[in-house]
Amino acid sequence: MDTAKVLDANIPDDGEQLASREDNAIPLREVIAMAEKVTAALKPLVRSLDKSMYRELKEMLNSIEELRGDISKVDPDDIFSRRIPEMGRELTAIVSATEVATNSIMHIAEQVIDADKSDPQSYAKFVEQHMMAIFEACTFQDLTGQRVTRVVQTIEVIEERIGVLCRMIENNQITPTASKVSETEKRNRARLVKGPANEGEGIDQDAVDAMF
Amino acid sequence: MQIDRNMRILIVDDYATMLRILRNLLKQLGFENVQEASDGQAALELFETTKFDLVISDWNMEPMTGFELLRAVRANPATAATKFIMITAESATENVIAAKRAGVNNYIIKPFTSEILQGKIESVFEQRVA
Repeated sequence: MDTAKVLDANIPDDGEQLASREDNAIPLREVIAMAEKVTAALKPLVRSLDKSMYRELKEMLNSIEELRGDISKVDPDDIFSRRIPEMGRELTAIVSATEVATNSIMHIAEQVIDADKSDPQSYAKFVEQHMMAIFEACTFQDLTGQRVTRVVQTIEVIEERIGVLCRMIENNQITPTASKVSETEKRNRARLVKGPANEGEGIDQDAVDAMF
Repeated sequence: MQIDRNMRILIVDDYATMLRILRNLLKQLGFENVQEASDGQAALELFETTKFDLVISDWNMEPMTGFELLRAVRANPATAATKFIMITAESATENVIAAKRAGVNNYIIKPFTSEILQGKIESVFEQRVA
């Protein structure tokens, strides 16, 4: 809203009247009356300014609230202090359980191989007993399966939260600064270390044999 | 060609379980003169005191990989002729090519069977005759 137009619309004649006075003396009450008119005329303008500023501030506040909401969804404290360490513990337990089971099975196999075979009957009984021990050792699979499921669930939670961050980055709310390739990844690339290939990736033994 | 069952074999892997599996498989195949190392660096230290006929090594180990061990073995005239088999989960073509260029005698992809291991050992020592 234009201030001059507001004033012209509401007090069109008073200014001219005052300007046309020949004695240049303006009584105080006329000045006060004029000031009151000006103030009254400006009220709608001030009100409209208040409203537009309020709207802008409200939008800013909403954006900040939305950003805070999104950031709280990411909850980095929960990821770094609880979920990732928990995942590490699960994976360590999986490695440990498979190692214990493998060693048990190998120990049994070694005993069977080294067993006295001179008496077939007692040897058969010995083998049977040890086969049962192998079955027992194989129960690790159930526990490791459950642990793997928990790790997968944690990864899904982290994936969801990274998705929130990605959306914020897409909306230019965050500027990523972290390096895309970690030092370990760089080192492994230089040493041609990639680990086991997934199904359908890499080459099989026949293909390797053909290369030799 | 008759393979010398008493030849000195060095198995290198950072997993104690894998070393145990290899030792047992080699034992079943008749090879009992076997020593172990947990990575390339430890293997090189053993080379300082022992002459090995065959190295069977994993690739992915810390601090020294099997690939680095292979290059070190080939670079040293005293060990350059040692037969070298890589047993690894690294199955990218570029890995096999790199290992072959570095002088590996054969390459086994995990998981493997005792038949594959036996076949590769025999194949490596047939190469010597050829």
